[in-house]
Amino acid sequence: MSDLPLKGLRILDLTQIAVGPYATLLLGFMGAQVIKVESRTRMDTSRGFARPSPSGAYNLYPGGDPGERPWNRSAHHVQRNANKLDVTLDLATQEGKELLLDLAAVCDVLVENFRASVMDRLGLGYDAVSRANPQIIYAKISSQGATGPEMDYGSLGSTLEQTAGLASITGYVGGQPLMSNETFPDPVVGILTVGALMAALRVRLRTGRGAFIDLAQREVTVGMMGEAFLDHAMNGRVAGLTGNRHPVHAPQGVYPCVGDDSWIAVSVRSDAEWRALCEAIRRPDLAEDARLATAAGRRQHHAEIDEAIAAWTRERGHYQAMHLLQARGVPAGAVLKGGETIVDPHLEARGFWDAVDHPEAGTYRQVTTPWQMSKSRRIQATPAPGLGEHNTFVLGDILGLPAPELDSLERRGVIGTRPVGAD
Amino acid sequence: MEMGEHLLGGITVLDLSEGVSGPYCAKLLAGMGAEVIKVERPGVGEASRREGPFLRDESDVETSAPYLYLNTGKKSVTLDLETERGADALRRLSAGCDVLIESGAPGRMASLGLGYDSLVASNPGLVYVSVTPFGQTGPYRDYQGGDVVAQAMGALMHTVGLPDREPLRIGGSVVLYAVGVAAFSGAMLALYTRDFTGEGQHVDVSAMEAITVAQIHASIHHQFGRIPARRESALVRAADGWVSPGLEIGVREDIWARVCELMGVPELADDPAFSTREARREHQQDVLAIVGEWAATQTKEDIYHTLQGMRTIAGYVADVEDLLDSGQLRDRGFFQDIEHPHAGKATYPGEPIRVSGHAWRHERAPLLGEHNAEILGDRLGLTGTEIAELANTKGPEHE
Repeated sequence: MSDLPLKGLRILDLTQIAVGPYATLLLGFMGAQVIKVESRTRMDTSRGFARPSPSGAYNLYPGGDPGERPWNRSAHHVQRNANKLDVTLDLATQEGKELLLDLAAVCDVLVENFRASVMDRLGLGYDAVSRANPQIIYAKISSQGATGPEMDYGSLGSTLEQTAGLASITGYVGGQPLMSNETFPDPVVGILTVGALMAALRVRLRTGRGAFIDLAQREVTVGMMGEAFLDHAMNGRVAGLTGNRHPVHAPQGVYPCVGDDSWIAVSVRSDAEWRALCEAIRRPDLAEDARLATAAGRRQHHAEIDEAIAAWTRERGHYQAMHLLQARGVPAGAVLKGGETIVDPHLEARGFWDAVDHPEAGTYRQVTTPWQMSKSRRIQATPAPGLGEHNTFVLGDILGLPAPELDSLERRGVIGTRPVGAD
Repeated sequence: MEMGEHLLGGITVLDLSEGVSGPYCAKLLAGMGAEVIKVERPGVGEASRREGPFLRDESDVETSAPYLYLNTGKKSVTLDLETERGADALRRLSAGCDVLIESGAPGRMASLGLGYDSLVASNPGLVYVSVTPFGQTGPYRDYQGGDVVAQAMGALMHTVGLPDREPLRIGGSVVLYAVGVAAFSGAMLALYTRDFTGEGQHVDVSAMEAITVAQIHASIHHQFGRIPARRESALVRAADGWVSPGLEIGVREDIWARVCELMGVPELADDPAFSTREARREHQQDVLAIVGEWAATQTKEDIYHTLQGMRTIAGYVADVEDLLDSGQLRDRGFFQDIEHPHAGKATYPGEPIRVSGHAWRHERAPLLGEHNAEILGDRLGLTGTEIAELANTKGPEHE
């Protein structure tokens, strides 16, 4: 057994956009061989358009330059698809379907996140795939689940935040519901999928049997608001918008610091932390103020406390303020920008980021795994693959198709490295 | 394998963690059928037993909403690990366990003689999961964390909220649950590996890292030349709440014309300001105003179903009651009614992971120390008197 936990495990990756690619990105980090399947007519949307219009800047390219092969260097593609091989197959053709089932026969896991009925309509649903390989673990990730009246509804991370209830509890007091800009249910369900697969694979080790995993992003996200359902059941309350406040503890808020759009988050959880905060911001008078001695009192006079904290943070950088508060044991965090996390000394010291030198997108830092294991290694991130980059390896070396057949497939456009519309 | 056998049948977990992240990880393992033994402090219990909201807002260790939800399917024993006898009982329990989950400050477990290095000696297969704000190493390892700190340091929060306001947290404890999800998958990876090697290991989960992984736009956008920023909301007000019509991304070009007809403004179908996705994105505020006039006369769920029926990617802002009423969630039997002797019957969100052939365990959270006799007596062989002493012995308060 290698110290790469998933070495020897082969994943057939039919995922696209965000949630599924995140799951397979992590599986790749842990040593699995991930074969991403796309087609020349239907690339993963994360690659953007074959020829993006200059105004339709949904996607993002290094230096703003799409280059000759924009589909291989878009930001969303390279960030989510490291550690994978890439093969093109046209699943609309009989030939493409057969090759996909041949691949399924030599893989341990299939992951897909199309609209729920797409794979069945293609004749490539769990029934067909498990006939080709009864031992396969088939993970279907969808917004609403594999069944039900809304199973084929489309979603984005942002609409999932709405339909799963997250937006109903995210917003400024008295304002309107808001969504994250990170399509939060996508990465989180991607991370969860890894654990779900490990559970099914462990059973397979004992029994030799495959399984079908049905992951509904909406359900997973609703399940992360459990206490709101209990409060509703016990007290009839419907959770709403509470801004940055904590329901019990105080003060808690986000305060301005020196610098452009620079902030610090502060959260006091006890009376001891409150006294430490007062010392740190040089307001011992507040620690003596009987009105503010309890959390309830501090909640009542929160605006007044906010002003005192902000008066102190406004004079300091967000990191500086964080270190001063933390030195006294007060929970505080600089509100980091994406560009700040890639040079943060703590993440650096823990070896969190991988530097990637991508042949078409240049150098950048790649997020890695949300766990560090004392005995199991992860791989150093490999660059996200170009479209069809591994056609020869996957179809020739793994499936054993002879070279003339590969040539024929390419001539007829079943496989290729340039999307339809590029030329 | 019989149908309905649990995924994690035969796995025993010691849950020493407090708050949200570690307990959620252990709740998922319990749902998959592991025996999860929660170790709590005598008298007061785990931290979330003291966090509200409570039944009728009356503080009670048995009726805390977060505790009731985050600890379904577990057993509870009371031990004070700050005492030698408590720590010794824990050591003996851990010798027969597969997974241990803890959320103490780095170094705390070691100071009690319960660190990974101590416990692995008598149980080489132990998977030891530590869930902390910043992880076991690095310059911030001793820093205090929590929900907003994780959101801030993981670069999640900076882009949430409105441009003219301060960054905003994602509500509830959702972000801490997400950290628990990372711990769950880390624990499962270690269990899977152990099936081959026979060896456990220490899984180090940092909330800052878990949330940094969860920000899928901010760091890469920054590096590719666009600094992501907070932006105006694209929600539209319906008669009873908020919707997003979903007309910008991922819809076919002929849909706009059909939506115009639906809204009673067919003359806008060919207006070049709106007739393409790009144009609609460019004139988003105008689109929202047009849709808003129509939406104000409809309910949010009607809008959602109508527009989804036309293959737009529409959404509606569902609150807790809407979710309990959702036809989709009901059809899938997602919610579960669970009876609890103190909190009564309540409707809980159900299993987040469905694996064919395997049932999820839906059982109430334990009462404080409910399983002392079973675990400390039957399993460790302690006498009734010894259990009573242990369960009631409190070391020096460390609150």
